[in-house]
Amino acid sequence: MFLELRGVTKRFAGLTAVDGLDLDIEAGEFICFLGPSGCGKTTLLRLIAGLESLDEGTIRLRGRDLGQLPARRRNFGVVFQSYSLFPSMTVGRNVGYGLVCRKWPRPRIEARVAEMLALVGLGDQAGKYPHELSGGMQQRVALARALAPEPEVLLLDEPLSALDAKVRESLRGEIRDLQKRLGITTVMVTHDQDEAMEMADRILVMNRGRIEQVGAAQDLYWRPETRFVGEFIGRLNLLERGRWQALLPALGEASHTLFAIRPEHVRLVGDDESVAGPVGEGQVRKVAFLGNMTRLLVEAEAGLVEIEVHGPLEGAGVGERLRFVLPGEHVSPIAADRR
Amino acid sequence: MNLSQGGAWRAAADGDRLLLAAVAGGAVLLLVVFVILPLWGILSYSLITPGGLGLGNYARYFGDPRFVSIIGNTFEVSLSVTAATIVLAYGFAYALERTRMPLRPLLRVVALLPIFAPSLVQALGLQFLLGRNGLVNRTFGTELDIYGFWGIFVADLLYAFPHAFLILSTALAVGDQRLYESAEALGASAWRSFRTVTLPATRYGIASATFVVFTIVITDFGNPVVIGGNYSVLAVEIYNQVSGQANFSMGAVIGVLLLFPAALAVVAERWIARHQHAAVGAQSVPLRARPNRRRDLLWLCYCLLVGAAILAVVAVVVYASFVRLWPYNLSLSLRHYAFDVQNGIAPLWTSIQVAFVTAGIAVVVVTLAAYANHQLSEAVKRPLYFLSILPAAVPGMVLGLGYILAFNDPAHPVYAIYDTMLIIAVCNVYHYHAQGFLLATTNMKQISRTFEEASATLGATRLGTLLRVTLPMIWPSVLAIGAFFFMRAMVTLSAVIFLITPSTQLAAVSVLYLDDRGALNQAAAFAVCIMATVIGFLLATQAVLRLAGVRQVSLIR
Ligand SMILES: Nc1ncnc2c1ncn2[C@@H]1O[C@H](COP(=O)(O)OP(=O)(O)O)[C@@H](O)[C@H]1O
Ligand SMILES: [Mg+2]
Repeated sequence: MFLELRGVTKRFAGLTAVDGLDLDIEAGEFICFLGPSGCGKTTLLRLIAGLESLDEGTIRLRGRDLGQLPARRRNFGVVFQSYSLFPSMTVGRNVGYGLVCRKWPRPRIEARVAEMLALVGLGDQAGKYPHELSGGMQQRVALARALAPEPEVLLLDEPLSALDAKVRESLRGEIRDLQKRLGITTVMVTHDQDEAMEMADRILVMNRGRIEQVGAAQDLYWRPETRFVGEFIGRLNLLERGRWQALLPALGEASHTLFAIRPEHVRLVGDDESVAGPVGEGQVRKVAFLGNMTRLLVEAEAGLVEIEVHGPLEGAGVGERLRFVLPGEHVSPIAADRR
Repeated sequence: MNLSQGGAWRAAADGDRLLLAAVAGGAVLLLVVFVILPLWGILSYSLITPGGLGLGNYARYFGDPRFVSIIGNTFEVSLSVTAATIVLAYGFAYALERTRMPLRPLLRVVALLPIFAPSLVQALGLQFLLGRNGLVNRTFGTELDIYGFWGIFVADLLYAFPHAFLILSTALAVGDQRLYESAEALGASAWRSFRTVTLPATRYGIASATFVVFTIVITDFGNPVVIGGNYSVLAVEIYNQVSGQANFSMGAVIGVLLLFPAALAVVAERWIARHQHAAVGAQSVPLRARPNRRRDLLWLCYCLLVGAAILAVVAVVVYASFVRLWPYNLSLSLRHYAFDVQNGIAPLWTSIQVAFVTAGIAVVVVTLAAYANHQLSEAVKRPLYFLSILPAAVPGMVLGLGYILAFNDPAHPVYAIYDTMLIIAVCNVYHYHAQGFLLATTNMKQISRTFEEASATLGATRLGTLLRVTLPMIWPSVLAIGAFFFMRAMVTLSAVIFLITPSTQLAAVSVLYLDDRGALNQAAAFAVCIMATVIGFLLATQAVLRLAGVRQVSLIR
């Protein structure tokens, strides 16, 4: 395994920010740490970078224990959320900084700086100072600076969250392309699920210092293992077995008490349509028109259910009655909690 | 822990850690030698009696009614000056920050004038104005006698005024416009909204200024020695005991007595400083004072009055330095600038040299101490932090006497620099170590940790980061710290008065000696030279900063 985390733990004065976490990262993959603010993503990234010291556990790179190796000896490139370009240096000197620290010969440094700036599309900005650049350009310089010393791993801590929505969108694609082109193992921290789903090969969903689930975006969306993951990524109807028994398709294991279905999977049935399985009925409580789809909140006998309908929709005003089914293939058992 | 033995050893021996340990250790060692040892010297000397160790000296002190009355005097003058200064400076700062009266920038400069001069300049100015042969008595034929309590009161009030003003105007400058608007919307009168909004919002500033002023007054030596007459205070009594009667053990006793109230005031001030942070929220709306003709005019009258008093005392010193013989012959002359008495002009050059050396050493010592404090983990930095701000609690007279008692011994390693300019500079550095350290710490806190972390992840050593990233970002404030020490070294009198020798005579001390001999005009000329040097140096530093495009660094503390 390329990068191996075992039992990684970090405590801050009584609070366990990262709690016995195990993770394997493959060479060349792009993995995102996703979770709500304060769940320990940054701390985990900083542990990998060597900017925080481990309280327990090990981190190995190609089998070699990084242990107490200080950040400067790890050769990991790090991009911070903001304000990390040295304000007293030009863009060119910022990018060359890591190479000067490694005592590269001058001509090689100059060539590499030019190459890196060209790579991020800022070939003509080498002489400018950071404050003369826009936020998006600054982050691209930061990226070039992190990549210049040919790091083993690239670590990004919410690199886009300080930027405008437009710039953010375009940089997502750029970073992903660059990562693929260089084939560099990359870890990115984010609290934005769209960002994680668009960019990452795999996503690690974190909650209170622990892993909720690791997997590709599709896995997390279609097969959330915990309620937390399901609700954090997309929207989710939670159905308690006791109340929804009648509408749920024949489900095997009796051990499960909680089931989930995405709002877009709940199917509306017409008045005259005949359906094989059980059909639910309810009254529309809320209607939200969202352009390409409409989101309905329907009160059925067993409880509230959210339904998303794509395309035009008629006869679904507030107060009207509707019929719906919960297709068996989309209903899945879900754990209430990891612990 | 999964750390292997080898790993732990490697980590401990890492160059970065060694550097930090060396810097922190060096800073602590120097603080122990130049602050703790002198304090220890004073304390132990105060306990040495002919019959062995004991409290005999203290018993003798408290058995003498004259000595006991000195303690009463000291508190009488310190408390009354503190109260008066806070009230007057609060009004002045309020007018400057919260009204739209004209002349505000000019009045601000006037209020700060006393900072640029040795403390005894106020006393000197008062002598010219209100002394036996002063302007007032000669003009109106009165028999005012300024020497004594009232002389010290007025002189120290003027001397402490700018310090209180700086703290209070900082407190009054920030405020939340929304609070005032809602108070007004609720129908509160101006006085009521002052009582319910302004005063509570500035209570930390008031408390902080109170303790700072108290410390300044109780430890001041320059003003009371010149204008105190028979009204003696502790700071002067140390000097009399040591320099006048060579009674070191009584000096030490008084030093210990003076240490207590000053230390208490400093502890209180630090406690307040720690608790005042959350006073203004990030989202508050900045204050905008609205013009109000009648109110602004009244405040202007008040400020002009106070400003005139400050200016008059300084101006009369300048004026007196240019007249033939105050107050008998007021024709203008430059003869006092010939400096043909005593050591001539030499002390001024010595002072300037000492000030440069002080600033040079202080910039390195203080910046490194603040750097180590910034980098060390919370638990480890405690002793360094404590030692670094301890000197704030040590009055100059006590520190100076401590240097004699600790280092005037050929067997002591520091004796090598005893009787040289260097020991004076070192004493200045540690006398003002706390203020410089706190300035540097604030500056370091202001730059984001991210820069250092980014540098580390790019492969830089700690030293590389310090030299290539941190220093280029903080050099303007480092320069400002240098300017602060230069200024202090030029005007300080208290600590260094025990350390000078005929060949290392200082300008501020010359003013005192000349005054003592009755050569008031020459004393004035010397004081003017000191002020001119300080102001010139500040202007030059300001120019350097402007040329480098730095605007937000303030040089006046
Ligand atoms: N240096 C620190 N000292 C104390 N607590 C910290 C420190 N850094 C992070 N924490 C705490 O650890 C938890 C996780 O923080 P962080 O990793 O920054 O979360 P995230 O990046 O997911 O928002 C938070 O509760 C935070 O307050
Ligand atoms: Mg974070």
